[in-house]
Amino acid sequence: MNTIQDNDERLSALLDGELTDPSAQRVIQQLVGDPDGRARFAEYCAVGDLLRGHHADLPGLTGKIMAALEEEPTVLAPVRRDGGRRPLLWLAAAACGILTWGLWGGAPRQENYAALASLRAPTDVAPFLAAHQDYAQAVLDVPEMQFTRISLSGETR
Amino acid sequence: MKAAPWLLLLCMANAQAAQTLPPAEAVAWLQKMADASRQLAYEGVFVVRQGDGMQTLSISNRPSTQGNESRLLSLDGNPREVRCSQTGAVTLVSDGSQVHTEKRLSNRHFPDLLPAYPRALLNWYEVRLGEMARVAGLDCRNVEIQPKDAFRWGYVLCAEKDSGLPLKAVMINGNKQPLMQYVFAEVKLGTGTQKLQSQAAPRVETPDPARPSDVVFARSLPPGYARVAAVRRHLPNMPGEVAHWVFSDGLTHISLFLAPSDKPAEPLKGVSPSGMVNLMRRQVGEFQATVLGDAPWVAVEAIAQGLEPRK
Repeated sequence: MNTIQDNDERLSALLDGELTDPSAQRVIQQLVGDPDGRARFAEYCAVGDLLRGHHADLPGLTGKIMAALEEEPTVLAPVRRDGGRRPLLWLAAAACGILTWGLWGGAPRQENYAALASLRAPTDVAPFLAAHQDYAQAVLDVPEMQFTRISLSGETR
Repeated sequence: MKAAPWLLLLCMANAQAAQTLPPAEAVAWLQKMADASRQLAYEGVFVVRQGDGMQTLSISNRPSTQGNESRLLSLDGNPREVRCSQTGAVTLVSDGSQVHTEKRLSNRHFPDLLPAYPRALLNWYEVRLGEMARVAGLDCRNVEIQPKDAFRWGYVLCAEKDSGLPLKAVMINGNKQPLMQYVFAEVKLGTGTQKLQSQAAPRVETPDPARPSDVVFARSLPPGYARVAAVRRHLPNMPGEVAHWVFSDGLTHISLFLAPSDKPAEPLKGVSPSGMVNLMRRQVGEFQATVLGDAPWVAVEAIAQGLEPRK
């Protein structure tokens, strides 16, 4: 288990550019003769692509991430764990987060900004509401309005 | 068993009532209601309901050789009168001992809600025939004007069975919930042809057309909307002039007000309790742009977000 963890850490460090040149060459040479290691490295690359948004051509990625998650032991009682890195788990969690965010972000929304706070009616709005009555249908009183401050995306306030 | 053919006919009639009318038939219904509102002599009292508010007004309409003249008078709340003719429309508001007169940009009012040539509405609305009803003691046919997209509200008008005069109008949202209703409490059709007795035409300031070198332009508008008015005008309790533009699809109207602003306007959203009136304010170049109308938020937002300073 420790060996696998060490290998995973090395692969993750290689992908993140955290290894020195000699260490990186050593890991790459090990990968040449290690089909399992190459497969895991390919998964790391795929997750990296996903995080960068290049996930359109990654068949079976979700299945692989779920399989990786299933391999994690079920924790029945909280146990203090060592500080060892679990790169695949973190990447999988991040990938799930990205997917969820992407799904929410892709759904049609009526507004692309958030109401920040309710406001009292601005004093200079009433004349505009009254003037619009020229085109509204009757001689109605100016309607009461509820106002909220909004934040426009991509606009300097 | 003998009742079966009648039941079948009844079912067919009901099914037909719910179906969208063919264009020619739809135009005929819309045109009949539009013409009746202008060309028919009538007087009566109608009630306006909007949210929890209610207002009662009297109305007189007289056809004339130069078009029609109509006069609306509020019967409760602040005394207010609207006079409309071919030469324009004015609002007279009584404030204690004084009467303020303002020029109106439009003479649109209930029951005269449809444009004079309503054919183009069929690009954005579907027309369906509804049930027969009875309003102010008169029989009428419900005519549903349903929007084809989310950029406009719909209407249900109840057209008097012979003349086609709308006796009732209900503005509805996408879920067919009423936003505003006008209903005649009493109405007399064909009541005289003498001209409305009016005071001397009040002297009012005519708004100036907005200069063509507009400092702001609408890069994009919701489908079917076009700018139908652009004037510069003084508004009560506001210093200086503002530009007032109106965008419309023929039935829905959205106003844009452009006012010079020294400091950037805070982006703002406003909505009436029923959701019928929506407003959005934002800074566009050196101007504070306020877009508002009796229209869905997406339409108001689309116009506001499509404004850009002209460079």
